[in-house]
Amino acid sequence: MSATTILCIDDEALGLEIRKAVLERAGYHVLTAVDGATGLAVFRRHTIDGVVLDYYMPEMDGGAVAEAMRRERPEVPILLLSAYINLPAEVVDLVDVTLLKGEGPLELLEKLHAMLQASRSRGGEGQLRGGVA
Amino acid sequence: MKAPEFNRTLRQLVALPILLLILMAGFLVWQIAAATAAQTALDHSDRVTAQLQELENLFVDQETGLRGFQLTGDPVMLDPWKAAAGPIQIHFGNLRAMLAGDPGQIKAVDDLEVRYNAWLGYANAVLKQDPKVVAAAGMNQRGKAMMDGIRAATSKMLQQEHNTRAQRYRYARWLLGREMISLLVSAVVVGIFLALFTRHHVHAISANYQRRIAEITERSNDLYESQQWFKTTLESIGDAVIACNHRGAVTFMNEVSEKLTGWPLAEAQGKPLAKVFHIINEQTREAAENPVEKVRRLKQVVGLANHTVLVARGGHEYVIDDSAAPIMSGGGRMIGVVLVFRDVTEERRVQRALVASEKLAVAGRLAASIAHEIHNPLDSVANLHFLLDQESDPEKRVEYLRLAQQELGRTMQISRTMLSLYREPKAPIQIDLRELIEGVLLLLDRRIQHLGIRLERKISGELAVEGFPAELRQVFTNLIVNAIEAAGQRGRVRITMQRADPGELNGAGAMIDIADSGPGIPPEVAKKLFQPFFTTKGAEGTGLGLWVSMGIVQKHGGSINIAEDLNRELSGACIRVFLPARTMARQAGQPAA
Repeated sequence: MSATTILCIDDEALGLEIRKAVLERAGYHVLTAVDGATGLAVFRRHTIDGVVLDYYMPEMDGGAVAEAMRRERPEVPILLLSAYINLPAEVVDLVDVTLLKGEGPLELLEKLHAMLQASRSRGGEGQLRGGVA
Repeated sequence: MKAPEFNRTLRQLVALPILLLILMAGFLVWQIAAATAAQTALDHSDRVTAQLQELENLFVDQETGLRGFQLTGDPVMLDPWKAAAGPIQIHFGNLRAMLAGDPGQIKAVDDLEVRYNAWLGYANAVLKQDPKVVAAAGMNQRGKAMMDGIRAATSKMLQQEHNTRAQRYRYARWLLGREMISLLVSAVVVGIFLALFTRHHVHAISANYQRRIAEITERSNDLYESQQWFKTTLESIGDAVIACNHRGAVTFMNEVSEKLTGWPLAEAQGKPLAKVFHIINEQTREAAENPVEKVRRLKQVVGLANHTVLVARGGHEYVIDDSAAPIMSGGGRMIGVVLVFRDVTEERRVQRALVASEKLAVAGRLAASIAHEIHNPLDSVANLHFLLDQESDPEKRVEYLRLAQQELGRTMQISRTMLSLYREPKAPIQIDLRELIEGVLLLLDRRIQHLGIRLERKISGELAVEGFPAELRQVFTNLIVNAIEAAGQRGRVRITMQRADPGELNGAGAMIDIADSGPGIPPEVAKKLFQPFFTTKGAEGTGLGLWVSMGIVQKHGGSINIAEDLNRELSGACIRVFLPARTMARQAGQPAA
C-alpha cells in the first residue's frame, strides 16, 4: 500500500521544508508548494489525500486556495494553518480543521491524522451509498 | 458752507457797511461844502450892506458938516466933513473889490461915485462962497437935490443887495433842506440795504449752522450706535478679547476674558497687559513673551507659542490658544493691539486622549503582522525541536540546530523591533533614518508580501536626524501602511530617502518621499487629509493617523505634505516628510497639535 500523500502549501520556504521533514518523519509522502497557484497545479496533477494549507500568503491566500480545491475535489480534506486567531468565518466553514501556528508538531500530526481518518470513513460511506444505489 | 466761503461772507459783512458809510460820509461832506458856500455868499451880502450903510453915514456926516459950516461959518463945523473924506474913498474901493463879480452893482457903484463927485464939486463951490450968496442963488436946493439923488442911489443899492441876500438866503435854506432830506434818505436806504444784506447772509450762515449741527448730531448718534454695536458684539463673542493701547495698557476686556483672567475690566483698565494677561510656558514654567511686544516688533498678526498657559488672578491655570493683532489707524500707525484667546484646556486633554488612542490603533494594526512574524519562526522551531528529538544522524541534528538558531534569531529581531516601537528616550537622540525605516519595513514585510507589493528604496546621502525614534517609527508605519493599502494587490511603493541641503525655509535634514501606484489623492480629500477624524478607510481607520503624524513631525521641527512624485512614474499619492538634522523638540509625549 502506497503512503498517504499530503500537499503542504506555505509561502515561508524554510518553515515549509521543516514541516515537510516533520510530516515525512511521521510516514507521510509530502508534496510542497510555496504559493497558492503552484499548490493548485500540484493538487490537479496528483492524487492527494490531504492538504496542509497556510492561510496568510501573498497574492492568493489560503481561503482562496481552499475554495478552488473544494470546487474541484471537495472530498479532499484540508487543514488550515494560521497565525491569526480570528479567521474569517466562511474560511473556517470551508476547511475541515484549523490549527494555530506554534501549537507544535504533535498537535499538527494528531489533527492531521484525525482529519484523514474522518475523511476515509466519509469516503467509505459515500462508496457504500453509491453501491446501494 | 465751507470755511473759505464762510470767511468771504464774514469779510463781506464787515467791508460792505464800512464802504457804504464812507460813501455816505463823502456825500455829506459834499452837501456841507455846498451849504458852507451858500453861507459865505450870505455873509458877503451882509458885508456889502454894512459897507453901503457906513458909506451912507459918511455922506450924512459930510452934508451935516457942510450945513453946520454954512449956518455958523465956524470952520470947526467942517471937521466931520474932513474926517469922512478919506474913509469914503476907502469904502468905494472896498465896494468895488467886493462886488467885482456883479456887473449890475459895479455899475451902481460907479453911478454913486459919479453922483458923489458931482455933489463934492458942488460942496467945494459952496465952501468958497459967502453963505448968503449961496442961499440966494438957490444953491442949497440944488445941493439937497443932489444929496437926495445920492441917497436914492445908495438906497437902491442897499435894496439890490437886500434882494441878493434874500435870494441867497432862500438858496441856503433850500440847500439845508436838501441836505437833511439827502441825509435822511441815504441813511434810510443804507440802513435798509445793510439790514437786508446782513439778514440774507446771517440767514445763510444760520441755516448752514443748523444743518451742520443736525449732521453732527446724526453722525454722533450713528457713532454711538456703532460703538454700542461693536461693544455688544465683542461682549457677546465666545472667545476672550482684550484690547490695549499702543503702550500696552488694557483698554477693553469682554466678559469671557474677565472670567479667564480673573480681572474685572474696571480694575484692569489702564494696567499693563502683562499684569492682567499673565502667560507662561506649560512645560518650562517660564514667562512667555508678551504678545503686545511681539506685535509691536513684527507689526502683524501673531499666534502664541504652543503650550501657553494663562495664569489667572486667583492662580487658576488655563491652557490657551491665542492670537494678537495690531490695531492700525487710517494712517497706518499702530494705535493698539487686540488679543483674542480661548480656553483649550479641555480640548488639549481630549487631544492627548486621541493621540494615545491612535498609538494603540497603530499597535493594533501592527499586532496581526507581528503575530504572524513571530509565530512562523516559532512554529519552525517547535517542528525542529520535534525532529531533533527523533533524529540520530549527527549531521542532520547539526543542520536542524542551525535552522532553529536562525529562526530564533529572526524572532528576537522582531521582538526587539517591537519593543523599540514604544520605548522612548527622554531627550531626542541621533537616529539613522534608514535603519529606522528598515525596521518599520521589517514589521510590515509580511503585509507587503501578502499584497505582492513591489517595494523600491532609493537612498542617497547621510540620513542622520535628531528625534524620538518611537514617534518617528509611528509616523513611518502610518505612511507606509497608507501607501501599501493605496497601492493594493501587486501595486508599487517607492521610498526615496535623501539628504536635504539647508534651504531658504529649512535647515539641513532628511527628505523622505513615500510614493505609491494607487489612485492618488483627490483635491477635496487633500485639503482634509491632515485633519483629525478624517479617514478614507471607513470603519477600518481612526482618522487620526495623519493628524498625529503631522503633530509628531511638526514637533520635530519638520514638515509633512502631499508632494508631486518626482519621477511622475507612480500615479498615486506622494507624501513628503522633511525632518531637520537638529530638532527643536525637547520632550517625548503628545505631539504639538
